Amino acid sequence: MIELRAVRKSFGSVKAVDEISLAAKAGEIFGILGPNGAGKSTTIKMIVNILAPDSGSILFNGRPIRESDKDRIGYLPEERGLYRNVKIGEMLLYLASLKNTDRSVAAKRLDAWLDRFGLTEWKTSSPEALSKGMAQKVQFIASVLHDPEFLFLDEPFSGLDPVSADSLREAILELGERGKTILFSTHNMEVAEKICSRLIVIDHGRELISGTLADIKSRHGRDMVVVEFDGTIDFGSLGRLARCLSSFPRWAEFELAEGTSPQALLKILVDQVSIRRFEVVAPSLHTIFVELVGGAGKSRSVGSGG
Amino acid sequence: MGKLGKIIRMEFRLTVANKAFIVLTILGPFLIAAIAVLPNLLSRSEGAMGGETVRIALLGADADFVREIAPALRQSGIEASAVQGSSESLDSQVLDGAFDGYLALPADLSLVTNMEYVSRDAVDYRVIGLLQGVIGRGIVARRLVEAGVPSSRVASLTQLPSFESWRLSRGGKMKNADFVAVLMTGLTLSMLLYMTVLLYGQAIGRSVLAEKTSKTVEIMLSSVRPMDLLFGKILGKALASLLQYGIWVAISAVAMRLVGPRLGISVGAGLPISTLAYFVLFFILAFFLYCSIYAALGASSEDEQQLGQLAWPMIAFLAVPVVMIYPIIMAPSSPLAIGLSFFPPTAPIVMFLRISVGAAGGWEILLCVALTIAATIAAIWLSARIFRVGILMTGKRFKLREVLLLARYR
Repeated sequence: MIELRAVRKSFGSVKAVDEISLAAKAGEIFGILGPNGAGKSTTIKMIVNILAPDSGSILFNGRPIRESDKDRIGYLPEERGLYRNVKIGEMLLYLASLKNTDRSVAAKRLDAWLDRFGLTEWKTSSPEALSKGMAQKVQFIASVLHDPEFLFLDEPFSGLDPVSADSLREAILELGERGKTILFSTHNMEVAEKICSRLIVIDHGRELISGTLADIKSRHGRDMVVVEFDGTIDFGSLGRLARCLSSFPRWAEFELAEGTSPQALLKILVDQVSIRRFEVVAPSLHTIFVELVGGAGKSRSVGSGG
Repeated sequence: MGKLGKIIRMEFRLTVANKAFIVLTILGPFLIAAIAVLPNLLSRSEGAMGGETVRIALLGADADFVREIAPALRQSGIEASAVQGSSESLDSQVLDGAFDGYLALPADLSLVTNMEYVSRDAVDYRVIGLLQGVIGRGIVARRLVEAGVPSSRVASLTQLPSFESWRLSRGGKMKNADFVAVLMTGLTLSMLLYMTVLLYGQAIGRSVLAEKTSKTVEIMLSSVRPMDLLFGKILGKALASLLQYGIWVAISAVAMRLVGPRLGISVGAGLPISTLAYFVLFFILAFFLYCSIYAALGASSEDEQQLGQLAWPMIAFLAVPVVMIYPIIMAPSSPLAIGLSFFPPTAPIVMFLRISVGAAGGWEILLCVALTIAATIAAIWLSARIFRVGILMTGKRFKLREVLLLARYR
């Protein structure tokens, strides 16, 4: 269990993190969501004790972090880096040894992880030979090789191809099932929606919303209607019935006004276009995120609306 | 093994496994040998003329005189022969290479006040000096015999007394030969430090910088303390360089033992053990101090160019004792010398000089050692601080004032 209580951090006059509180339990995959520069990385750096908070407290299983706790923490920084002149296998074992992991145990795990990510043949290569995505997977292995109790991943999915992203997602889910406390930051809402059991959305260092995914969805935003169609919709004709959140030539997403039934919308649309799909859905995290961040940000209106 | 130990081992291995390190380790002794032996060989060949004899013609000399002085000249590699004739004919003989030069002697040697030596290369001062000494003494001997002095006494009468010079300083009297020895060991220590710091200090600065630029630092800091990381880097690199030095010294020593006697060079003669011990002590102290300053500079630089710029003022401190070596040895207890021997960047070399001339001892040495170690730790602490803050500042250049402010930053 990892807990942040009213944590603040400023750099000069910039409030990077402003009173963030959160709690991630063992076995839970906790997502920190936010646009670029929201304070996600700073929050994680404070948790792993690279930065010290100006105020507030960070508790590991109810008490502040000690130097010895570092051995039970796995950290994937946002800025990836590997020593240039060390072979990958050796580098990973070295990093595990700095977490006081027995070499033979680490060596066995290393082979399993390399195999899992299809990196076995790269074990004796130098990091310069790796592509960006491969280097990222290597760094992920570095963060889990010592089998940490707490795992902190800063943008783990950025720059990965879909296959790699899938295998990484599986690995993270599996670690969660094994009872690890996992906290990761992302601005990729689809991934967050797929694996987070609990999340916090922050912007400009402040919490916008937090809770379980279901919680957030039920609390935030009404039901949406997704329509796939052939033809042209006259958005003006909808009046106040529904607001178009996003539209493409053959696809549109609507938010229904208070008291409007999906039926009413369907009636109007049927006259204008041939409908191929009409579905009432819970709002996607993406939609909530864009709305929250958009609202808190430059107060720009979301979607085209007409 | 603790984490510090593991970092030291890794850093040591990284350094030692480097191709440049291996090449330098193998080539080093040859370079050292070249530096140590070549001047020696050159000066020796100058003395023995390398078997090539200088042939001199003595124009108008009588055979008796030539017989008297020939043995002394031959010892110095000059073959003198008496020649009769005109100076014009000798000019052409010298130009043709039959002789290397000639000296015109007047008929009455005892009255001579001036002689002229003619040769193709006018700058052969050694030959001129030898001729002057040997022939001059021969002429003086002739004059004494002509004045009635028994020829058996001439040698002792013309014998010049030998000179020994002593230098008086606050530290006491010392023989000038010892003064030169102190000067030379002091300069050697300075030069050795200068070389080593340039070679390895820079490597440490770069390695710390690389930790930042390769972005490995965040992973490292999530596992170890910044102090451990920097201490580990410095100690690992320093041990590797000391290993290299050890190999160099060992190979050089063996080579000198095997080859030295054949060349007639004696090695390591004349240095007392205590001087040698202080030499090693202050070398290591200064080495670690400069390495940790380099680490701090590496931590505050953004790229190698900036590291180079920042390093210059520090390297200037290394040059201070070299520039001041004369006044320091002459007045080792002057306020300036004492001050410099307690100012960490110059302390090791200056204190070594002061100890060598017997002007410092006991508590002064201890204080100097303590101050240097304290400065070393302070530099590492500062770099650990800068390091931690530097992570946030990547991409932005530091100003010195900022660095100092950030050092207090949590």
